[in-house]
Amino acid sequence: MGGLTSYFIRRLLLVIPTFLGITLIFFTILQVVPGGPLEQEIMKLRAGMASLGGGEAGGGGGGGTMGAVEIPAEAMEQMKKFYGMDKPIIARYGIWLWNVLHLDLGTSYVYAEPVWEVIKSRFPVSIYFGVIGFLLSYSICIPLGVIKAIKHLSKFDVGSSVLVIIGYSTPGWALGLVLLVLLGGGSFWNLVPLGEFRSENFAQLSWIGQILDQAHHTILPVIAYMIGGFATLTIMMKNSLLENLGQDYVRTAFAKGLPEKRVIFVHALRNSLIPLATGVGHLISIFLAGNFLIERTFNINGIGMLGYQSLIQRDYPIVLGFLVISGMLGLIGNILSDVAYALVDPRIRFK
Amino acid sequence: MSQNAGQTTPNTDYASMSLFKKRLKKFKSIKRGYYSFLIIITAYILSFFCPMLMNNKALIVRYDGDFYFPLLKYYPAATFGQTDYGEANYRTLKAEFEASGTGNWAIMPPYPYGPFESLTDPSSYPPNPPSSRHWFGTDDRGRDVFVRLFYGLRISLTFALISVTVAYFIGISIGAMLGYFSGKVDLFGQRLIEIWSSIPFLYTIMILSSIIRPNFYMLVFFISAFGWMGMTYFIRGEFYREKAKDYVHAAISMGAKDRKIVFKHILPNALTPVIAFGPFHIVGDIGALVSLDYLGFGLPPPTPSWGELVGQGVANIFSWWLVLFPFGALFLTLMLVVFIGEAIREAFDPRVFSRLR
Repeated sequence: MGGLTSYFIRRLLLVIPTFLGITLIFFTILQVVPGGPLEQEIMKLRAGMASLGGGEAGGGGGGGTMGAVEIPAEAMEQMKKFYGMDKPIIARYGIWLWNVLHLDLGTSYVYAEPVWEVIKSRFPVSIYFGVIGFLLSYSICIPLGVIKAIKHLSKFDVGSSVLVIIGYSTPGWALGLVLLVLLGGGSFWNLVPLGEFRSENFAQLSWIGQILDQAHHTILPVIAYMIGGFATLTIMMKNSLLENLGQDYVRTAFAKGLPEKRVIFVHALRNSLIPLATGVGHLISIFLAGNFLIERTFNINGIGMLGYQSLIQRDYPIVLGFLVISGMLGLIGNILSDVAYALVDPRIRFK
Repeated sequence: MSQNAGQTTPNTDYASMSLFKKRLKKFKSIKRGYYSFLIIITAYILSFFCPMLMNNKALIVRYDGDFYFPLLKYYPAATFGQTDYGEANYRTLKAEFEASGTGNWAIMPPYPYGPFESLTDPSSYPPNPPSSRHWFGTDDRGRDVFVRLFYGLRISLTFALISVTVAYFIGISIGAMLGYFSGKVDLFGQRLIEIWSSIPFLYTIMILSSIIRPNFYMLVFFISAFGWMGMTYFIRGEFYREKAKDYVHAAISMGAKDRKIVFKHILPNALTPVIAFGPFHIVGDIGALVSLDYLGFGLPPPTPSWGELVGQGVANIFSWWLVLFPFGALFLTLMLVVFIGEAIREAFDPRVFSRLR
């Protein structure tokens, strides 16, 4: 166990340089890009002053003065100070890092609220879909993979492989969009709402109505979430079980006369679940990773949508905050996966 | 000589084939994958002839005794006595020629609409539903969806092929380096790879894209810069395994240089598992390109792209043809590539499951 502990301590220590490296790169990129908040503010001021100047000049031919308007140096200094642009990048990064260590990710340009508050307010929606999608896909893929392995090359196996192939060759968000077009009441059937997390009149509904409304809005996004891992998970389960069924210990179990059910479900299945345990660690990052595609498709105001919109609105504190949080969750997810792996399989040795 | 032997004893012939030929034979025997391969290759080659098959430019124009080749050269409308500005409109030109009967003629491509022209029909606003003229309808700027899908096929496949090649090159080189030199190089390199892989890649490309509007090759570079890490694990492992074998020791004792041992002796033996994964990387890269285009952070407009069409479909949810046709194209392409991938993996790395009952 000592080797394991020191392995995980080293893994945790490695998170620090990783974190510093990633954030420094993105911090620098986002600070030097054109179109940042300071430049936008300057543009706005220039435009405002130009129109003001034109108004005072009256009919005196005020055209062509747009570019000539200068912002007073004093105001410029003040603005730079307001956005923290009066220091060199490394100093700014130091300040930012110090604040992050105190759980202060800065203030959003668009929402004028602390970044952490804005991101936190979007967590429940994303976690809701993440957890439901995760649970459903495991509870469908594991039994399906087991049946496919037991009935390897049977009609059921070949038939359900069609589903697996569809899963492989379809990005989840794209399938979700197709279902939305088909079932969302556009040109074909009107069975599900056109996106959004809940109906607008959600608060006025009775509690049964609320549950139904929520379920109604949940079906398609959850299908889209599940498609992503469906094929990989099912095939992983199937291959893992098939491989175990060919092992010597299974032969031994059969040889000593155990019934087939017991051999498969008690002996082989337990061992073949080991590779799937690695996925559990990533449960933590599915709340964030990669789902801006699905959230954009269904117009759900989750954390992915926030990351996407703030990139378009050039709300860089949120972009950076989003990166920090999703990067950290990814790193922790990796470590958790290894822990889960080591816990379920005592044969695993890390060094 | 081997043919002769093959006729009498096919088994020895099979045994004497090189490993690659055996694999090729096995791949061909998996019909689903082999036919998918033929279909994709045919479609890809055909897509290079798109300008001749689907275009608003005539292939040949015969006008007042002279031949013109608008595919190769730009002709202003005045060349053919048309009064419009800009390039000649060859569809109306053809109709005019046929009506006038002066012996002038124009040969149009079989599907006479181009990927970039806005077909503004005065009777309705785009996007227009599918019709006999525009088989898959038009998009929100009045461009023909059918044409843009086929031009998009060429771009998607080319994009994926180049990205996968570049990513393989990087991944194999680095993996080989780590596995061969091992020790400190390996330890340090692995940490760097770990850091690099924990960057959320799609979001990073979106950030880069929002700062500099990337062109085709920049996007290829971005995607492959984040797509090589998985390969290194395989190659590194293979190198560790192969390095311990006798033939490598023999090569070292004969005084072979590092470079020769890596490229000539070990690499050919270590490549198999990664090559077999190639098609799945292609699926991933096509998916990434479509996702980026869908979000508006991909190839610059007006590049014909599937993701951009689907993105228009979100804004025009009632125009089903903007979603269903590009999705169909994407799905069919990815499915064929997955079939190829399965067949290649089966041929290169057969898994035999032995079961008692």
